[in-house]
Amino acid sequence: MSNSAKCSDHLLSRRNLLTVGAIGGLTLSNFFRMQSACAEQKFYESKEGSAKSVIFIFLPGGMAHQESFDPKPWAPLEYRGPFKSIETNLGGVRFGELFKKTAKVADQLTIVRSMTHGEAAHERGVHNMMTGYRPSPALQFPSMGSVVSHEFGPRNNLPPYVLIPNEPNEFAGAGYLSSSFSGFSVGADPADKNFRVRDLQLFEGVTSERFAKRRKMLEVVNDHFRQREQSDSLDAVDTFYNRAYSLISSQKAREAFDLEKEDPKLRDKYGRNQAGARMLLARRLVESGVRFVTLTYGGWDHHDKIQDGMNKMVPSFDQAYATLIEDLKERGLLDETLVCVTSEFGRSPKVNANAGRDHWPKVFSSLLAGGGIKAGQVYGSSDATASEPADNPLTVQDWATTIYSCLGINADKELMAPGARPVEIVDGGRVCKELLV
Amino acid sequence: MITDFVRGNARTNCGRFLSAALVLLSCVVWLPDDSMAARQGEDPVSLNVFPQSIQLHGKRDFQKIVGQAVRHNGVTDDVTDKVQIVVHDQDIAKLDGTRLVPLRAGQTKLRIRHAELEVTVPVTVASAEDDPPVSFQLDVMPVFSRTGCNSGSCHGAARGKDGFRLSLFGYDPDGDYFRLTREMLGRRIDVATPDDCMLSNKATGKVAHSGGTVFSRDSDYYQTLKRWLVEGAEFDKKEVPEVQSVTLMPPSAILDGDGATQRLCVTASYSDGTTRDVTDLASFSTTNGSVASVSKDGIVVAGQRGEALVMARFGTHTVGAEFVTLPRGLDFVPEPMPVNNFIDARINEKLNKLRITPSGLCSDEVFIRRVSLDICGVVPTEEEVENFVADEGSDKRSKFIDRLLEQDAFVSIWVMKWSQLLQIRSYKNIVSQKNALIYHRWLKEKISANTPVDKIVVELLGARGSTFTNPPANFYEMERDPLKITENVAQSFMGMRIQCAQCHNHPFDRWTMEDYYSFAAFFAKVARKPASDPRERIIVGSGGGKTKHPVSGKVMEPKFLGGAMAEVKGKDRRVVLAEWLTSKDNPYFSRNLANIVWAHFFGRGIIDEVDDVRVSNPPVNEPLLSELAEKFSESGYDFKAMVRDICNSRTYQLSTEANETNASDLTNFSHAYLRRLPAEVLIDVIAQVTDTRNKFPGLPLGARAIEIANGNTTNYFLETFGRSKRESVCSCEVKKEPNLSQALHLINGKTVEQKIRSGNLVGKWLKEKLGEEEIIQRLYLRILGRMPEVAEIENITALFEDTEDQKQKKTMLEDVFWALLNSSEFLFNH
Repeated sequence: MSNSAKCSDHLLSRRNLLTVGAIGGLTLSNFFRMQSACAEQKFYESKEGSAKSVIFIFLPGGMAHQESFDPKPWAPLEYRGPFKSIETNLGGVRFGELFKKTAKVADQLTIVRSMTHGEAAHERGVHNMMTGYRPSPALQFPSMGSVVSHEFGPRNNLPPYVLIPNEPNEFAGAGYLSSSFSGFSVGADPADKNFRVRDLQLFEGVTSERFAKRRKMLEVVNDHFRQREQSDSLDAVDTFYNRAYSLISSQKAREAFDLEKEDPKLRDKYGRNQAGARMLLARRLVESGVRFVTLTYGGWDHHDKIQDGMNKMVPSFDQAYATLIEDLKERGLLDETLVCVTSEFGRSPKVNANAGRDHWPKVFSSLLAGGGIKAGQVYGSSDATASEPADNPLTVQDWATTIYSCLGINADKELMAPGARPVEIVDGGRVCKELLV
Repeated sequence: MITDFVRGNARTNCGRFLSAALVLLSCVVWLPDDSMAARQGEDPVSLNVFPQSIQLHGKRDFQKIVGQAVRHNGVTDDVTDKVQIVVHDQDIAKLDGTRLVPLRAGQTKLRIRHAELEVTVPVTVASAEDDPPVSFQLDVMPVFSRTGCNSGSCHGAARGKDGFRLSLFGYDPDGDYFRLTREMLGRRIDVATPDDCMLSNKATGKVAHSGGTVFSRDSDYYQTLKRWLVEGAEFDKKEVPEVQSVTLMPPSAILDGDGATQRLCVTASYSDGTTRDVTDLASFSTTNGSVASVSKDGIVVAGQRGEALVMARFGTHTVGAEFVTLPRGLDFVPEPMPVNNFIDARINEKLNKLRITPSGLCSDEVFIRRVSLDICGVVPTEEEVENFVADEGSDKRSKFIDRLLEQDAFVSIWVMKWSQLLQIRSYKNIVSQKNALIYHRWLKEKISANTPVDKIVVELLGARGSTFTNPPANFYEMERDPLKITENVAQSFMGMRIQCAQCHNHPFDRWTMEDYYSFAAFFAKVARKPASDPRERIIVGSGGGKTKHPVSGKVMEPKFLGGAMAEVKGKDRRVVLAEWLTSKDNPYFSRNLANIVWAHFFGRGIIDEVDDVRVSNPPVNEPLLSELAEKFSESGYDFKAMVRDICNSRTYQLSTEANETNASDLTNFSHAYLRRLPAEVLIDVIAQVTDTRNKFPGLPLGARAIEIANGNTTNYFLETFGRSKRESVCSCEVKKEPNLSQALHLINGKTVEQKIRSGNLVGKWLKEKLGEEEIIQRLYLRILGRMPEVAEIENITALFEDTEDQKQKKTMLEDVFWALLNSSEFLFNH
C-alpha cells in the first residue's frame, strides 16, 4: 500500500538525504520545503524480499530465441534455423541442441518465452532491459542495479552493485540518481590469468596503523573545505571514500573478489573461460553480500552465420550457467539468489540471406531462476514461427516489476529525479504472480 | 470566484473609486490572508493582451484572447477573466465566451480594458461565410496529434499498436491516409455510418480500446472526424498551406507563488498568410512540472520556486514560453552589483528576475588556482601564489589572465577539446596511428596560430585529397557513414542532436525527416579511393552517391538545416555547407562555440548539455548567449578575446560560497560551482605537484596527458577518471562522476603513492633542514594553492609522533602529502 505518512522518515534517512542532495545542491531550508511537497511522492518501504541478491547475466547483441530456449522444430527450415532441439528435464520442454547442460537444470528455471517490447535498436533495447523503461530524451533512468543500491545500500562492507568486468553500457549507470549509486566495476576480466581487482590492498609499506593516521589527516584537510562547500558531487566523493575504507578494512570483503580462494575443481567445472570465471565471481560476490551483480558475456548480434556464432558462444555459457545454478542450489543459495539471463531482444523469425537473423524485439526469451521464482515452468509462448507472443506476453515493465518485487522493492515507488520530479521505479508494471513460487 | 465577479461588475458600472473600495471590502470579507490582499489589491503597471492582432477566415474560425497584467515588480497576473472587452463594430465579430467569432467580412478593433489600462487589438475578418470541407492534413491529423493517437506509446509506435499504425506525430500524411482508409478496406472507417465505424467507436470508447476513451462524442475533436467522414473521407485534393510558425502566448510570465495560474494561447501562421487559433490542437508540456505544471488545455499552474519552460507543440513546431515562479509576496530589493563587463550585466539582469543575489568575489588564492586550471590545466606554483597575493595592483587578475593566455598549455587544452569533437583516434584497421598523428598536428598548428574557427571548419568539411598530405581529409575517415557524418556535423558545429529525425520527425524539436535527409545530402557525394600506402586514402567530394528519403524514396537535394535550399550546381556540396555553416545565415555556429567555451569555464553551458540544443532545452540566459556569440563572430572568431572576456567577468570570479538567495541555484551562474578536474588535467597536476613525469605510450617521458594526440592512448588512471574515449562526438564522453574505483585508486593505487615516493620532495626539503611546519606549509601551498590555517597545522602535527628519526619524519610528512592529494579541495576546481 502507498504510505505517504512515511514520507518524513523516508526523507530523513541518511541514504535518502543523499538522494535529496542529488536534486541540486539543496540547502537545509530547501530540503524542508521539499518535505511538504513530498506528500505526493508515492512511497513504499523496501524490505529484503525472497531474493537477497540478483545475478543479472546480460548477453549483449540479442541472442536468438529460436536457437536457444524457444526452438521451433516443426517450423519450416527457414524459420527453424540450423540447429536441432533437445529434450530438457522438464517434460515436453525443448531447448536448442547446444544447451545440453542447461537442459539438465531446466527444472530449476522459469523459461519465459514471451518477452516483448518494441525497440529494435541495440541501445534502445539495452536501455529497456537495464532500466525497465523505454528511453527518453528528457530523463536518464537508473539501472536496476542502481535502484537496488539506492534502496538498500551496502551489505557486509561490499559495494551493493558490482559490474563484471566493466560497465557494459551507459544505461547500467545511476541515471538521474546520484552517482553514488552507480556500480563498482571490477575493472579486469576474471578469466585473465593474473586477474586481481585493483587497489583493494593497502600499498606496500603502508600498514593499517599508518593508514589510520592518513585517514585522520585527510579528515583535517577535508574539514576545512567541507565547512565552506556544499555539493552533491562532494557528498558522492565522501560516500565512495567511506565505501572504499570499509572494503579495504574488511579482509572478508576483499576476498570475495579473489578467485584464487575458490576450489580449483569448482573453477574447472564452471570453466576457465570468460563465462565460467565471470559467473563464479558473481557467485562469490553475492555469497559475501553484494546485492546486484551485472555480468555480460559474449556478442550475440548474429546477422551473419548464426550457426558459427552460436557454436562459438554457447558451449562455455551453457557449462557455466548450468554449474552456477547447481552450485547455488548445493550451497542453499538459490532460494535467495535470483539469477536472470536475458538479451536486449531476440532475432528475426526467418533466417536471412547471410545465414543470420536480424533484430526482433516483438518476442524473445529470458531465463529466471531462484530468489522466489517458480522452479520448472515455461511462462508464455511465441507463435508457430516465433514471431509474436502467442499467450501471456511479458512486458519489460512487468518483468522488471516482478524482479523488484522478489527483492522486496515495490516498483510503484517514486524516486526523485532532478527538478524535484518524482518518477516511479517502473512505470505501470505489474507483478506477474505466475512467475513466483 | 466571487471577488472577481464583484470586481468585474464594479469596474464596468461604477468607476474606479467604488471598484477599489469594493475590492478592498471583498478582500476583507473573503480573503483575510494578508498576502492575498496585497496580491489582489495591487494595480498593474501594464497590460498585455494576446494575440496582438486577430485575423478570422471563414465560418469555423475563432480566436481566444488571453490577458496578462504586469505589476511594478514584474510579477504577472492572469487577467483573462477580468478584462473588459468591447468589440468596436459589433456586426463584424462578436464574443462567444472567451472566443471571438466572425460575423461578416471587414475590419474592426477590440478595446480591452483592465484597471485603468487599455489595449487595442486590430481585428480583420476576411470572410465569415467560407466553410470549406474538413481537411485531412489541416484538421484531422492535428486531432490525432493532440489526443495522442500518433504518439510513440500508441499507434505512432514503429509497428503501430494492436494492428493499427499511424506515423509518429504525423510525419507521413499519405501513409496515415492509406492506413486509415485503404489498408483494410471497409474496416477502419465507414462513410455511410460515420457514427458507427471503428475509428469513431474506438476513439470514443464505444468498443474496447487499449487506449481507452480518447474523446467524447460531443467534443470538437469528434465533430471534426465525423464531418470528415460525412464529407467522404477524402485526402486533400490540393497542396495544403504549411505551418510556417507557431506562437505561444504569453511569451513569459513571473508567477506569484504556489497555485497562481496563467492561461495560454497558441496560434499558427500558415504559408497562405492565414493564422489560426490552435490552442485546442496543440499539446503542452513543461520542462519542470514542480515549478510550473501545464494542463492539456493550456493552463499553467505555479508550484515551487524556480524556472520552467512551458512548451506547445503543433505539427512539427515546438515553441516555448519562460515561466518563473516566486514565493508568494516575496519582498526582494536587488542590490546594486559591480559589473566588470557585459557578461555580468546580462547575468545580473537574469538574477534580478529570479530574485537572486550573486555571491561575493572569490579570494585571490582561489582565483589564481581556478584560472590556472581552467586556462592551462595546471595549478599555480608556490611562487606564483605568493607573488599574486602580495601584489596590490587593482588589475592583477586581468594581467594574470593575459599571462596564462600566452602559454602553450592554453593551446593544448583546446586542441584536446577539439580532438574530442573530431574524434581523433586510431580506429581498428581503418584509421592508422599515423593518420591520427598527422591530423592532430594539423589541428595543433591551426589553434596555435589562433586561426579563426570558421576557417578551420571550412578546411575540415571541404577537405579532399590524400589523408597523408592533406590532414583535415581525415575528418572523413574518423567516420564514414554519411548519415553519421551528418549527425556529427550537426552535433559538433551546431550543437544539435538530430539523430531522431533519421527515422521519424524529431519528437522534441522542429526537425523533420525531410530536414534530416536533405541535410545529409551534403555528404552524399563523398567517396574514398585507395592509395599506394594501405593507411592512406584519397577523399573525393564528387562521387555519385545520393541521399534518399526512406519513406517517399525521393532523392533529396541539399538544404541547410533550418535554412534554405542550397545552390550547389558545379560546386562541392561540402564547401557550400561549410560556408553556410560559418556564415551569418546560420545562427547556431557561433552560439554553439561560445557555449562550448563558456561551459569549459563554468562546468555547465548556458545551454546544457552543450550539444543538446533544442527548443525544449533553451538557454538559461538567452541575451548572454546571443551577445557572446555576436561578439565572437564579430571579432573574426578571436578565441583568446572571448576567453579574456569570460575570465575577466565578475561572474567567473565569484566565490563558491552561496548566500540565502542563491544556494539552490545550479544553473544561472549566481555562484561558482564545484567542478571535478578532468582526468587528463588531474593526472598532469598530480605529476606537477609531486615533481614527477608521466609516461604515456607513444609519447616522450614527461609529456602531458592533455597533449595526447591519439584517443586510443590511455592508461588505467585516465580510464577510471572518465577521459573521453573519442568514440563519439558527444560531450557526454567526458565523465566527471566520482566512483568507487577512483577512490580506491587514489587511496591505494600506484599513481599517488609512487609519485610521492619518486618525486621525493619531502626528502629533499628535510635535507635542506626545513622544519615540519614549514614543509606542511609548502605542501599546502603547492597542492592546494593556499597556506594552511594554524588550526590545521596543529591538528595535523598532533597526529605526528615525537621523533628525530629522519626516515620516520619523512613517512609522516609523506602521509600529509597523501592526504592532500586525496582531499576534495585538491580534486575539485572551486
